[in-house]
Amino acid sequence: MRVLLASLRLQLQLALRSAEVLQACLMAPLLAVVFLSVASLGGDAGLVAFAPSAIVAPALMALWTSALFTAGQSITEDRALGVFESVVASPAPLPVVLLGRMCAVTAVGLIAFASSWLTSGLVFGHWVVVEHPLVLPVALVATGLATATTAGLLAPLFLLTPSARTVQNTLTYPFYLLGGVLVPVTDLPEWLRPLGRAVFLSWSADLLRDTLLPAPPADPWARLGVVLALGGVASLIGTTLLLRVLHVVRSSGSLSHT
Amino acid sequence: MIAVSASGLTRTFQGGGQALERFTFEVPRGEVHGLLGPNGAGKTTLCRILSTVLLPTGGSASVLGRDVVRDAAHVRRSVGVVFGGDRGVYGRLTARQNLNFWAALHGLSGRALRERVAVLLERTGLTGRADERVDHFSRGMKQRLHLARGLVADPPVLILDEPTAGMDPIAAHEFRDLVAQLRDDGRTVLLTTHDTAEAEAVCDRVTLMRRGAVLATGSPSSVAGLVTSQDRISASGVPAAVVAELVARPEVVVLDGSGGDRVELETSGDTTGEVLHLLVDAGVTRLVRGRPSLEEAYLRLLRRQGMAVDR
Repeated sequence: MRVLLASLRLQLQLALRSAEVLQACLMAPLLAVVFLSVASLGGDAGLVAFAPSAIVAPALMALWTSALFTAGQSITEDRALGVFESVVASPAPLPVVLLGRMCAVTAVGLIAFASSWLTSGLVFGHWVVVEHPLVLPVALVATGLATATTAGLLAPLFLLTPSARTVQNTLTYPFYLLGGVLVPVTDLPEWLRPLGRAVFLSWSADLLRDTLLPAPPADPWARLGVVLALGGVASLIGTTLLLRVLHVVRSSGSLSHT
Repeated sequence: MIAVSASGLTRTFQGGGQALERFTFEVPRGEVHGLLGPNGAGKTTLCRILSTVLLPTGGSASVLGRDVVRDAAHVRRSVGVVFGGDRGVYGRLTARQNLNFWAALHGLSGRALRERVAVLLERTGLTGRADERVDHFSRGMKQRLHLARGLVADPPVLILDEPTAGMDPIAAHEFRDLVAQLRDDGRTVLLTTHDTAEAEAVCDRVTLMRRGAVLATGSPSSVAGLVTSQDRISASGVPAAVVAELVARPEVVVLDGSGGDRVELETSGDTTGEVLHLLVDAGVTRLVRGRPSLEEAYLRLLRRQGMAVDR
């Protein structure tokens, strides 16, 4: 646990001294402005109806982008800094170090959600009521953790392929669509829905939207359980892959390659 | 007890490059052992294998009796590693934040962590700059931070891969003092360097490497003795008649006798005493008697093998 917390603290310290947090803080409200502007074309009724989606979507997009960035950059930058070999040579398990660093993106999710919500109120004068304040923070944290483990799945790929940027770029919009971030999975073509339901973001997006609606969310804890379970599966697969790839790069001598 | 050992250690890279070839050596506990060799000799490859970040393709190596492949987790707990250069730390963080992270990776927490970090900052002379970003440090200060990082787990074995590369002479001198302290603590230190004077100053024994294999191993003086067992006498202000007399003696090897009143000779046994008497009796006061340096042995041994620079 202390390795996990130390890695999380390290990532937060590094993020505070980089453009990462600034990017997340700017990206979410700017996207919120776009979505809310579209919603406001339908008048007040349109704004009221679409505001929950217009707040949740930018927050999840900022969270996922930040997670992909962290998954790729933490290994790539550590290699460039000459730090990665020392991390591997330490007694701390590498999957735990990476998981701790990925968990730091949960903070980005919280900031992004808050900034999107503030944008709706401050820019459009529409203050969305958090109807279910108990479920919302738990759902945000669970989403952050699942995002951390799912984006962490890509870390082994970044170990094998130092040029992480291409992978990062190709894994944004497909995930937004399949994850029901831009439109609910129920609105996707029927043949795509099962695939969407395998992506934790679809459960997170639906639940987060529901916390901003007056009606009580259906089975919130079960849906949270699905989010965490899908995140757990990603964590197991990611750890197995990472240890396997680590063995491969120790064998090939490419551990420190940049 | 043996702290570090390698037996027939071999490392071949894709494409056929052979970094280590049946490399065998032993480092007893508490010894400061130097690895000397030209670029490409296999020093860094050996350090990487011993620190478990690279797997050998043949042979075996162990640290404190633990195999570096089969028992990597144990080895990582007993080895501190300092890879050379000014990279290897988070420049955006402060020295204290860096050490806090590394200490946590080695299992420290709470008060023990804070105290250990404070001790290391003090020991490496970084206390006054502990809360400054490492980006603003000089190369020498970064090297000291590396050393602090390597010591964070209080390891019995320390691997230092060219730790003084790029250091200014004062920082390098301070580093030597620090290595002496580490030896006094009873730690085993494996040190790679290009600097033979440094190896001679701090190492109990050295291993000369060439193309991944051992060329010679022993104390710096015994390795120097491999190239010649003779005494070396340098003198200046020598009268011409005495120079001529020395040059004429068959048991004296004249290394340099063409510089007017300056001579450099190799002698042995009783002849050394006779030559010294002759020079002193002739009124020569500027003379030095010694043995060949490790640097000379290093260069001669490498030249005997061919070109000094590998791959």
